[in-house]
Amino acid sequence: MTRSNGGIRVVVLCARALLGAAVVLCSPFPAFTSSAHADERAQRVLILHAYNYTFPATSMAADGARERLLQRSPKKIELDAEYLDLVRFSEPGHEQLMANFLRERYAQRRPDVVLAVSGEALPFVIKHRDAFAPGVPVVFIGISREAYASSPPPPDVTGHLVDPESNFSETLALAEGLQPDARRLFVIAGAAPTDRRWQTTARTVIDSRARKFEMTYLFELPYDQLLAEVSRIPSDAIVIALTVLRDGAGKPFVAADVASKIANTSKAPVYYPYISAVGKGVVGGYSETFDSMGRAAADIMLEILGGKDPATIPPRTNPETGYRVDYRALQRWNLSESNLPPGTVILNKPPSIWEEHRNLVLAALAVFALQTAFVAALLMQRHRRRRAELLLKESEERMTVTAASANIGLWQFNPESQELWATEHCRTLFGLERNVPLTRDSFLKAIHPEDRELAISALRSAASGGRPSVQDVRVVQPEGSIRWVRVRAQAHPGGGADPGQLSGIFVDLTDQKTAESEAALQRQEVAHLMRVSVLGELSGAIAHEINQPLTAILSNAQTALYLLARDSPDLAEIREALIDIVHEDNRAGQVIQRLRGLLKKGEKSFEEIDVNELIKSTRSLLNSELIARGVSLETELENSLPATFGDPVQLQQILLNLLMNAMDAMSATPAAERLIMVSTRSAPGGGIEVLVRDRGPGLRPEEEARVFEPFYTTKERGLGLGLTICTTILQAHSGKLSLTNGDAAGAVAVLTLPAQEMLIAAQ
Amino acid sequence: MTRGSATVFIVDDDAGVLKALTRLIGVHGYQTQSFISPREFLALHDGTLPGCAVFDVSMPDLDGLALQEALSTPGAQRPVIFITGQGDVPTSVRAMKAGAIDFLTKPISDEDLLSAIARAIDQDDADRRNRTELASIEARLATLTPREREVLGHVVAGRLNKQIAGDLGTVEKTIKVHRGRMMEKMGVRAVADLVRMAERAGIPLPQR
Repeated sequence: MTRSNGGIRVVVLCARALLGAAVVLCSPFPAFTSSAHADERAQRVLILHAYNYTFPATSMAADGARERLLQRSPKKIELDAEYLDLVRFSEPGHEQLMANFLRERYAQRRPDVVLAVSGEALPFVIKHRDAFAPGVPVVFIGISREAYASSPPPPDVTGHLVDPESNFSETLALAEGLQPDARRLFVIAGAAPTDRRWQTTARTVIDSRARKFEMTYLFELPYDQLLAEVSRIPSDAIVIALTVLRDGAGKPFVAADVASKIANTSKAPVYYPYISAVGKGVVGGYSETFDSMGRAAADIMLEILGGKDPATIPPRTNPETGYRVDYRALQRWNLSESNLPPGTVILNKPPSIWEEHRNLVLAALAVFALQTAFVAALLMQRHRRRRAELLLKESEERMTVTAASANIGLWQFNPESQELWATEHCRTLFGLERNVPLTRDSFLKAIHPEDRELAISALRSAASGGRPSVQDVRVVQPEGSIRWVRVRAQAHPGGGADPGQLSGIFVDLTDQKTAESEAALQRQEVAHLMRVSVLGELSGAIAHEINQPLTAILSNAQTALYLLARDSPDLAEIREALIDIVHEDNRAGQVIQRLRGLLKKGEKSFEEIDVNELIKSTRSLLNSELIARGVSLETELENSLPATFGDPVQLQQILLNLLMNAMDAMSATPAAERLIMVSTRSAPGGGIEVLVRDRGPGLRPEEEARVFEPFYTTKERGLGLGLTICTTILQAHSGKLSLTNGDAAGAVAVLTLPAQEMLIAAQ
Repeated sequence: MTRGSATVFIVDDDAGVLKALTRLIGVHGYQTQSFISPREFLALHDGTLPGCAVFDVSMPDLDGLALQEALSTPGAQRPVIFITGQGDVPTSVRAMKAGAIDFLTKPISDEDLLSAIARAIDQDDADRRNRTELASIEARLATLTPREREVLGHVVAGRLNKQIAGDLGTVEKTIKVHRGRMMEKMGVRAVADLVRMAERAGIPLPQR
C-alpha cells in the first residue's frame, strides 16, 4: 500500500542514517575533529562504563552526556569511551587487567575529566585512577546517596547522585495509585552488589510504610526459578522488579531485559524504577531517563572543564527524576490514566510516538528499508522468487478484493509491535478518511463509545484464550449515521512464550441489524394488538373496576352535600367523606394507570421486577372478570423471591394470557370447583418459577405437542397467538414457558424467569 | 315506623363502596349494619330487627341473588334492594320476580337509593304487621277445641245455629254454647270480624 510509493525516499534517508550509525558503532566516540587547531587543544573526556556495550542504560546516559558536551562546550571536545565489563568478568585479575589496558591506551591521550557511569564504575576509577589518569577530576553518575555517604570519595570526585529510597517508594506509590485494590506485593531483586543495595532499600521503605501488604520478596533466585515464581504471581498483585544484574546462581544479566522478561511472564502489572524497561512490558516507575543523567553529568563536567575546582562542586541529584509510565502497558493491564500521579510522563502514547521517538522510528524504518533493499536485490538475482512474490501479492489482492465485495474487511495485528495491517475496505466500514493512519486506536476511536469496551475485551479474550471471539459493535460514520460491524478475532500463537499475531475480519451487519430491528418492531406491534384484544375481552370487567371507586366517590360526595345543607353541618363527617373521595379517586387512577401500561406501545423498558407484586397487580385488573366468571383465584407466593429483570408490561401480558387461558379452560367446570392456583417459588439454579394451575379438562395429547405453534388454538374464537407471543417475550427475558397436565385434573403452566444477578452477569 | 328504628343491612365485597354507602344511608337517619362478605352477613343477620337489605349482585362465593333466597326463609324475611356494577337484564328480572324492591346500577344516585330504602322499609313495616296479626289469629285459633273449630267453620260459612245443629247431629242450645265460647276465644263480637280473620288465616270456607 503506502509502503511501496514511499520506499525509495526512505531508502535514501536510511542509507545516510546507516552510514552515520556505522561510524558511531565502529569506534565508539572518535575524535570529532581530526584537524584540531594547534592553539586550541581539544579537551578530552573519558567515559568509563561499568558494564559492556549491550547495556543500554549506560549507553543512553553516555549519549546524553555527549550531546550536551558537544552542544554547550566553548572548546573542542574529544570523547573516548571504554566498557569495563566489571559485572560479567568478576574474577580478581580482571580489574587489574582493565587498569593496565587503560594505562597503555591513554598514556599519550590523557583525559581532562573522567566520567564514571554507574555504581560499579566509581570504585574502580578511584582505585585505579593513578594508573591511567593521575590527578584528573572524576565525575560520576548513577551513585546512590547511600553508597556515596558510606564511603565518600576524594574531594576532586563529584557527580550526580540518585536516591533509590525515593525512587522505590515513589514507584510503589505509583503502583498503589494504579492498583488501589491490590493487597499483595512482590519485590524482585538479584544478587549483584547493586541488586543487594536495592534489596535493603526495598525492605527499609516497605517496613517504614503505614500501609502493609502481604509481602513476598523474590530475592537472589536462580533465573529459571525466578521466572517460575513470577508466573505464579496472582493477577491482582503489585510486582516491583528491581535490578537483577546477577541471579542467585551467579549468572550475569542485563537488568532491563530481566525486568522486561518478568513483565511479560507475570499475570500482574510489573513496575520498575528505571526507564530502560519502559516500553518493554513494565508499566513504569519513578525514574530518571538515562540521557538526562548524562546531561546532568555533562553540566558538572562543563564547569570543571571551564576551570572550576571540582572540590567546590557538591554532588547533586538530577532534577529530571519523575514518574514515567508506558501507555501500552497501561492499556494492557487496563490501568486507568486518571489514577496516575500529577506530572506523570506517559510514554508511547500513540499521537506522540513520532515526536518522542522520531529517531527510534527512523532507525526502525532504516532497518526495514535495508531489509527491503536486501530482499529486492535477492529478487533481482532470483527471478523465481520475484514471481513467487508477485503471485503471492496477486493472491493477496484477489483475496482482498473478494473480501471487499462481500463487504468484509480483513485485518491482522501484532500485539508486540502494536502494528496493524488492514485492507482498504476496513476504512470504508469504519468511515476512516484516507489521511487517517490505520492503527488499532483509529479503529477503536470510530467505534461507538458505548461499544468500545466490548470490542477491546473481545480482542483481549481472543488474544488470551485460544478461542476466536465475536462481537457486534456500532461504528459511528463521519456523517453521524450508525453502521453495525461484527468483529471476529482469533489469535495465532507464535513460538514459545511469544504472544503471536491476532487476526480477523470485520463484517458489515448493518442490513441484517436493520432487518432484525424491523422484525422486532413487527413483533412488538403484534404483541401490542394481542394485549389490546385481551383488554377488549376484559372491557366489561375493567369498566367495573373503575366503576367501583366512582360509586364510592359519588356516594361520599352526596353524603357531604347532604351534610352541608344541614343547619349545623357535622364537619368531621364531611371531612371523612372527602378523605375517602380522595382515596377512591387514587384507586380509580391506579386502575387507569395499569390499563395505560398495558395499552402502551413501543420499546420495551427493562427494570427490576418483583414478580409477586406483578401477580397482585394483574389479579386486581382481573378481579371483576374472575367474579363474573365465578372463578376463585388463590395465590401461594414465596416471600423471599429474588428480583428479576424485565419489561413489566410484557411480563404482565404473559400473566394475563395465562390467567385468561385458565379461566377459559374452566368454562365447563362446575362453578363451585372453578379455582386458579397461582404460586411462585425459587427455581433450582437461582431463577424464579411462576405456576398457574387450573381445574379445566387439561390438555389432550395432540394439543400438548402443538399449543406453542403459531395460529394453533384450542379455543373456539382464539387466534392462536397468545402463547407464541408469550414465548417470544420470554426469549427476550431469557426465560421459558411450559404447559403440561397437572397431577390432578387441569393444566399447569410453568413460567421460569432468571434471577436478576444472572442476567446482569450475562450482559 | 320511624327511620331511627329501621336498620339497613348492606353487603358489598368492595370496601370503598361499602363504607360510602353505609355513610350515606347512615347520615339519612337509618341504623346500618355493613358486611364485606355474604357469609359474614348470613352468620350475623338478625331477622327480628325491622329494616331492609342492600345487596351487591356480583360477589365472590355467594352472589346477591343467593342472599335474597336465604332471606325468604321464615324469621329472616326482609325486603331487598340490589345494586350492581354490570346490571344485565336477565339478572334484574330474576331479582324483581323474587320480590326485590329495586335494582340499581352503580354509580347510584342518592335519591334513587334513599327512595328505594324508604319504600323497602314501609313494605317491611307492613309485612311485619301482617305477620304479627296472622300470628295472633293463629294463636287464638290454637286455643279452640275441635268442636269449637268445627262450629267456627260453619259460622264463617254463614249457617244458622239450627242448621249447624242439624249438620253436626246435636241440639241448637249446645251449638249456641260452643259458638259463644268460640267467639270469646277469638276475641270477636261480630261474625263479619270472624270472617275477615278466617280469611287472613287462610281457613277455607266450606262449599255450599
